[in-house]
Amino acid sequence: MATVELKGLGKRYGEAVAVQDVSLHIAHGQLVCLLGPSGCGKTTTLRLIAGFIEPSAGEIVVGGRVISSPSRTVPPEGRNMSMIFQSYALWPHMTVAENVAYGLRIRKLPAATIAEKLKAILSTTRLEALAERYPGELSGGQQQRVSLARALVVEPETLLLDEPLSNLDANLREEMRFEIRRLHDRYRYTTVYVTHDQSEAMTTADLIAVMNLGRIEQLGSPEEIYDAPRSAFVARFIGGSNILTGAAVDASHVALGGGTLATTGRVLAKGERVSVSVRQHEIEIMTAPPADASNVLHALVGRQVFLGSARDYTVMLDDKTELRVTAPPDRNIAPGREVWLHLPAGRCRALAQGDNA
Amino acid sequence: MRGTLDLSRPVLFATVALLTVLILLPMGWLLVSSLLDKQGELTFGNFVTLFTDSSFLEPLETTLIISVSVAAICCAVAAPMGWLVARTDMPMRRTVRTLMMATLVTPPFVGAIAWEMLAAPNSGLLNQLWRLLTGAGADQSLFDIYTLPSLIFVIACYTLPYVFILVANSLDRMPGELEDASSMLGGSAWQTARRITVPLALPVLLAGALVAFLQALNLFGSPAILAIPAGFHTLTTKIWSLFQFPPKAELAAAASLPLLLLTILLLRAQSMVLGRRSYAVLGGKYGEPRLVRLGVLRMPALLLCLFVLAMPFFLPYLALFNSAFSRVASRIVSAETITLHNFRFTFVELSSTLPALWNTFLLATLTATIGALLALVIAYIVARKAMVGHRVLAFLATAPLAIPGIVLGVGLFIAYTRPPLQLYGTLWILLIAFVTIELPAAYQQLGSAFHAVHPELEEAGRMLGASRLRTLADITAPLLRTAVAATWCFVFVAVLRELSAAVILFTSETKVLSVLIFDLKESGDVGAIAVLSLVMIAITTVVVALANWLGGGGGRGLVRS
Repeated sequence: MATVELKGLGKRYGEAVAVQDVSLHIAHGQLVCLLGPSGCGKTTTLRLIAGFIEPSAGEIVVGGRVISSPSRTVPPEGRNMSMIFQSYALWPHMTVAENVAYGLRIRKLPAATIAEKLKAILSTTRLEALAERYPGELSGGQQQRVSLARALVVEPETLLLDEPLSNLDANLREEMRFEIRRLHDRYRYTTVYVTHDQSEAMTTADLIAVMNLGRIEQLGSPEEIYDAPRSAFVARFIGGSNILTGAAVDASHVALGGGTLATTGRVLAKGERVSVSVRQHEIEIMTAPPADASNVLHALVGRQVFLGSARDYTVMLDDKTELRVTAPPDRNIAPGREVWLHLPAGRCRALAQGDNA
Repeated sequence: MRGTLDLSRPVLFATVALLTVLILLPMGWLLVSSLLDKQGELTFGNFVTLFTDSSFLEPLETTLIISVSVAAICCAVAAPMGWLVARTDMPMRRTVRTLMMATLVTPPFVGAIAWEMLAAPNSGLLNQLWRLLTGAGADQSLFDIYTLPSLIFVIACYTLPYVFILVANSLDRMPGELEDASSMLGGSAWQTARRITVPLALPVLLAGALVAFLQALNLFGSPAILAIPAGFHTLTTKIWSLFQFPPKAELAAAASLPLLLLTILLLRAQSMVLGRRSYAVLGGKYGEPRLVRLGVLRMPALLLCLFVLAMPFFLPYLALFNSAFSRVASRIVSAETITLHNFRFTFVELSSTLPALWNTFLLATLTATIGALLALVIAYIVARKAMVGHRVLAFLATAPLAIPGIVLGVGLFIAYTRPPLQLYGTLWILLIAFVTIELPAAYQQLGSAFHAVHPELEEAGRMLGASRLRTLADITAPLLRTAVAATWCFVFVAVLRELSAAVILFTSETKVLSVLIFDLKESGDVGAIAVLSLVMIAITTVVVALANWLGGGGGRGLVRS
């Protein structure tokens, strides 16, 4: 096992930039999620780590050894990594046992050791009963577990997962998330996990790298990413956020939407344009003006939808900006009514400069 | 990447070099020779002769008339038949479809010979039957096979299956919901067929017409057997006749170029038409199409189909079997006259049979093995984008598709009758010709097989520490085994039937089965011809059945003959 380091990694195809200046330090035994929409470069980054493609810039260092650089790339088979593929990539002409034991056989282990390790991993992944089945005879969840077993049994230095749950249905997906985390806690391989599903990232990762347009937008723990998004992109991508734009009146206040909001996050320069992010469910909606008028904006209800566990409001501020607000289900306000919104100062996060999305 | 991949760079260069020699050498010489006169001086004389001499212009005109007529006939027959088989409740529709596919087993030149047995003015079985029924005189006949319309009819018989399969398959894939939607809006079954089904199938029909046109354009066997006795030529037979003594290779080269150009143009048109077909085969899950109820028309429809099938299938086989077991080919065989004489003559007395069979087996086996391996390597490199330059490989591997067999024959003749490689007169030149001709079909078949093997299956092997070669051996090869075997079978069969290139390149030492049959026509050994044709068809049937059983599916390997 080892630390994985990406240093200024870049990949371009002709003019098109797939990955740009990605630097990431993954400590031994850590599970890092690369999170982002499709086309953000997360899968390219993973395949660069796996050695399927060569970088055009930067390098990848594992355990102090450079394994990828534009001049020299160790082929995938020389990296002692394992990978879980989006399609599982189970070989249809081999049984579960043959699939799982393949990596051990490649390593020319004695037959007794192979049998022993095979038995152990099949029991850990609860596959003993299916050992002689062919992949075509398994359900999606079982295939997924075989693919996990096959990757883990060789005791890799690094484990790579490429959208491993995207082919499962919703219930199974939730179950497998915990399964992956359970297996990780047990073996503690250095793991890179690619997904576009934020809740998947939240449940499994120690560290999340949100990627956009080939770069890492923000790197942090799930809590940091959620509570302190650094850019409008991250704020929008992780949990529904409203992004409001206005002008700073002093170091912490911003004039927008027909009022003034106290914000947190960074010191503002008077007069600059600032984007502020507020999560939908952190806004309190009221039918009468509150006694304390600080951080309160006036609005009209445009539309409301009953979602069972909540009500989703679309409201319009005095300057015609639309906001989404998630309210408790019993707060039923008819469209057209006047409302007052309380945006708690601690939740109004001024985003980084120049990020006026 | 490093390591084993470095090893594959030489493989790429070797493959590109080999393909370049295979294709560019004969084609280059073809072009150069067409611009030379007998003394080797640069001239446009060949083309001047070509476009002023009526003995060249007439075959061109004849060929175009044949191709257009064949395309029209095939579409007119294949479209309703395909629809009956795919979209109606006609009885025995599966059998009709199978028999139509089985027609593909008959090489067109064998079909032409069989039709000669049926409808030659004097000895033709159908004419004898007509005289028997009507009491007409011995000098009168109902049919004359040695005419242009007869030739068109015979070529259409053996081109029809290609168009039929194209139409029937596309109607199979057409989502039933598209027709259901019309029914929901109040369209009757007939209105739906007319307004929805037919317009959706039109592009496929157009593609079918182009396929038929191309087949008729490049066919050598049937016109050689029927047109030459009738005293006229098509482009292919004209090119062939230029190789009869004294050979005029330069003129033949010049005459080959219009055929080559026309073929390339039509193939482009075809891929454009088929490229747009996607809307007829939109993905997604659709229900089984509902079948149109024919009602009282069910039996007439079946009879019509059986009548059509009689032309390429029932009647010719009747004639072939009759000739094979009869001492006099023009007599209907009976219990008293049945004989195995023809078999004994063919296999014991005829000295050229066994060498020809041996040559054919040798060439078919070698071509199938070399062709499948070459196609496998190319398909791997292209499908996995394993190297820079894989696109060039894909182009070179499909290019021979645009070269008619007879044109390739002319090119190879010119290229290999001079130093440094004087291969004319050896089996090597036939091997080169066959490998070149069969490569595109083999490559396309294996290419689509590779696409069915998800790249992640190979990547998974490499992540677990297997090298590129080890992954190929452990994972890719077992998954492709059946596809490779099926491809091998199809190439084998295609070689067995190949006539148009072989007829230019053979010498008395290197005769193959198809050439032997063609040659026996000259000497009039009808019994031996029938026996050898049936042997060829029997071998073909067995090998095709084997390939289908292996799961290769379709008759794709048979498309060129």
